[in-house]
Amino acid sequence: MTRNVLLGLFVAILCSCGSDDDAIPPVTPPVDTVSPVVFDLTEVPYGKLSDYLFFEGSIADQNPSLGVLPYDVITPLFSDYSKKKRFLWMPDSVKASYNGDHDILQFQDGTVMLKTFYYDNVQPANTRRNIETRMEFMRDGVWEFAEYVWNEDQTEAFLDLSGSFTPVSWMDEQGEIQNVNWRIPAQAECHTCHKVGDNSIPIGPKPQNINKMYNYSDGVKNQLEKWVAMGYLEAGYPTNIITVADYADPDADIEERVRAYLDMNCAHCHRQGSHCDYRPVRFAYSETVDPNNLGICVEPDQQFDPSLTHIITPGNVNRSMLHFRMNTNEEDKRMPLLGRTIIHQEGVQLITDYINSLEGPC
Amino acid sequence: MRLPLLFAAALASAAGYAQSTCETATPVSAGLHVVDTIQGQLPMPVCAQNGNGETNAGEWYTYTAADNHTITITSSLPQNEGRDTRVHIYTGTCDELFCLAGDDDAGEVYLSITVFVVLEGQTVYIAWDNRWDSNGFDWGLIEAPYIAPAVSFVATSIEGVGSKLGVVDMNGDYLDDVVAVSNVTGNIFINYQTAEGTLNPVSVGNEAATFYPSWSMTAGDLDNNGYNDLMFGGGSGVSFMFANADGTGFTELSGSEYVFSQRGNMVDIDNDGILDAFMCHDVEPNVYYMSDGNGGLTFFQGGIGDVENGGNYGSVWIDYDLDGDIDLFLAKCRGGNSSAKINELHRNNGDGTFTNVAPELGLNDPLQTWSSAWGDYDNDGDLDVFIGASTFSDGVHKMLENNGDGTFVDISLSTGLTEISGTGIENICRDFDNDGYLDILGLGGRLMMNNGDWSFTEQDIQFGNGPVGDLNDDGFLDVVNQQVYMNQGNDNNYLVISTQGTMSNSNGVGAMVYVYTPTHNLMRQVISGDGFRYMSSLNVHFGLGEEAQIDSVYVVWPSGLTDTYVDVQSNTHFTAVEGAQPTAVSDRKGPEFLIYPNPTRDLIFIDTPQTYSTATYRLFDVSGRLVAEGRLVSNTINVSDVKSGVYVLSVNFDGLTSERKFVKQ
Repeated sequence: MTRNVLLGLFVAILCSCGSDDDAIPPVTPPVDTVSPVVFDLTEVPYGKLSDYLFFEGSIADQNPSLGVLPYDVITPLFSDYSKKKRFLWMPDSVKASYNGDHDILQFQDGTVMLKTFYYDNVQPANTRRNIETRMEFMRDGVWEFAEYVWNEDQTEAFLDLSGSFTPVSWMDEQGEIQNVNWRIPAQAECHTCHKVGDNSIPIGPKPQNINKMYNYSDGVKNQLEKWVAMGYLEAGYPTNIITVADYADPDADIEERVRAYLDMNCAHCHRQGSHCDYRPVRFAYSETVDPNNLGICVEPDQQFDPSLTHIITPGNVNRSMLHFRMNTNEEDKRMPLLGRTIIHQEGVQLITDYINSLEGPC
Repeated sequence: MRLPLLFAAALASAAGYAQSTCETATPVSAGLHVVDTIQGQLPMPVCAQNGNGETNAGEWYTYTAADNHTITITSSLPQNEGRDTRVHIYTGTCDELFCLAGDDDAGEVYLSITVFVVLEGQTVYIAWDNRWDSNGFDWGLIEAPYIAPAVSFVATSIEGVGSKLGVVDMNGDYLDDVVAVSNVTGNIFINYQTAEGTLNPVSVGNEAATFYPSWSMTAGDLDNNGYNDLMFGGGSGVSFMFANADGTGFTELSGSEYVFSQRGNMVDIDNDGILDAFMCHDVEPNVYYMSDGNGGLTFFQGGIGDVENGGNYGSVWIDYDLDGDIDLFLAKCRGGNSSAKINELHRNNGDGTFTNVAPELGLNDPLQTWSSAWGDYDNDGDLDVFIGASTFSDGVHKMLENNGDGTFVDISLSTGLTEISGTGIENICRDFDNDGYLDILGLGGRLMMNNGDWSFTEQDIQFGNGPVGDLNDDGFLDVVNQQVYMNQGNDNNYLVISTQGTMSNSNGVGAMVYVYTPTHNLMRQVISGDGFRYMSSLNVHFGLGEEAQIDSVYVVWPSGLTDTYVDVQSNTHFTAVEGAQPTAVSDRKGPEFLIYPNPTRDLIFIDTPQTYSTATYRLFDVSGRLVAEGRLVSNTINVSDVKSGVYVLSVNFDGLTSERKFVKQ
């Protein structure tokens, strides 16, 4: 439960060599500082988020304690335009190891991942509101879920795995008021997306998704390098990691952007071994090198609208099931099935541009 | 050459007025025709519902048949390769057009083919639209000799907004109504069938339920007040809409429990005379709601399909072993190497518990399926099952024949159904042409007509799956898919029976209804909730083919009571009220039979001089209590589990009942 941050010194040295345009001065923690996090595998999940001491100061500010490492993914899952903060923590002498560019890192017992969903400019007072903090942790080699729901005062989040709704009204970046009846998932909902076969898994922490620079409090650094420096990842992973594109990067290749988007938004159910792998598409980034797996000129199994003749019909979004599924809010037709209740306009535009860039006929 | 200015202006003017409209439709006959550019009047109504392309123009033609013809209209010609067309075929006048046929993509790639019948002297309009683009193309009109289809359907529009999920009686007159629910406002909109066979549209004006029926809707009278209530299967929970005392409004009751709903059913799970509700859970064990009959529901989870990760998609409650209590088949689906995809058959143990007997019966199939269609496809007095694949990744369509004793034999290959390439989530069986044999509506929206010999012939339809019932009380089943597809009927006879329970649940859900005629023995079970999404009629429907005579109607209620009707006319619709015509020995008696040995220790053998097609037996103790029942197989009944004493054995031979006493040692 303690972690000696002996590596802090190395981190500072590496950073000072690597980056000269960094405005944030490196902070060298005292050599013997230990992570304050409380995480007893025989007791968790605790009843309150504050019980773990993951955060310093006001818990609502989500300032990570020592040893709690913020991280980011290159292309995120769309979740009704909510914002997310992700954190990783591991107990003493526990670390992950590389298991392939496209596979989840090999984690060990006691590893904790946190994701807080929040909105800014929440009405009526244009304030930030933390909605929920989802937690995944490994015990006896098995991933388990916990779910903390924030109270109205934003002073605490309480364990609740039964699932519920909470309405959120916020002003978006264009100044428009948006409304969503936010779904806080029940345990079975977590598992629906976070699994292979019947076994629970995380989704994000694959080298392909996290191999990017991150602006830490002590400087900008590649996340994988930082994890090594923190003692959270075995050194010696390959240097030539095949990495996804940022779906929102207009300068990136459109097919790479699409493949990145489909991987993060769709592949949890549409990849080999997943919830819906009986359907013909395979959307994992490693699988979409094959145009058949992308659904190009592949007929859908379920034809609720016979005009949607293929999952992707080159040059014709009106005949593409993929576009239809992304561009509807109807609960039984929309994709992804869970985690989205409003249309992701930027995602639909990306898919539209991509389909229009393809040439037919099938 | 220089045209005089005036003449050029006249030409331009003529070109400007050369717009193709219904009124100016170009007369055509058999042969090849050319569309230059689609720029005329927009065809309405839409007869080939399809897609989201912007549509604002059409080109019109008219054809009058010199003889009875089957007409094919096709753009599926080599010169049109790469083109995308859509066509609508109308009868009526330009003031009031009715859809006769229409097609978007039946031809090569996106080209169109539609086939329809035009009788001598009849005129039809043929209108191509620019759903996909306005470029010209060639098309052909082919005349062929008229072949009467087994059954045909005519689309008619229907008022009201919302998804038309149900065809079921909502005002207690046992005539099917159309129930729609808006996914915007949550408003329920009902088209009530009138005694004249028309539809009377009424907006209920209710508040939106907590959960919209995104995944399924089910109807039944949960509180025994004479009006059917609705169960909405939502993605995060279940809402119940209880009909008020006069059926004109609803009161919502929603649980807080997380339920990823799939197929729902209403069924009297504990056989206490009050309908309960069952809901498939996609990602957890199944849930059910026990009704107290007064609008109260108690939530339960567990005991009826308990795979931790669910995989429960299509539930249907049927008495597969004819033992008098109702069993549950679960069509299941799940990706990955998960046990959640293995189909289950839960035998009702008669004591409120259920046992999954799929493994011992060979029904534990990994086939990825969302629904199954149970019925007596071969009219031999037991329930067979078609299990429709929703994808072929783990197996193809399956047809299993019931051996009569609740075991099954896989006859899929011989039916030809495995050759059908279509997959889908909806599969139901009904007799659409009233020939006495159950047809299948499913396999990706196909109508497979049952030839009566375990083979099926696909018949072209315009509509795909939707809720099924009789919306003009003509004894022929209609289908709703946003529009009403009204069955045009034929010369076959029919019988429609509504069931009203008294001791049993008020809908008579679970009742087994037998119709005996000189040529057929037919059986149907009353089911609330089959297929995947829709709620189809609670009335049981029997096509009788050419047979106009009905010997008797025998109803076995969930309570164990039976009624026998001996004066039933064909081509009628009547309500069987539980206990109104109790089966008595004095009803037309069945054949005399002998039993031996008597007394017996384990088996009774039955000897009857007459042949029969089907026989069911019921065993009563001296107090008249029903002890056992089932289908008579090999003229043998096993009574080894029955306590010692005197019993009355009542055997129903093709609808006629006889009795014998015996002693169990």
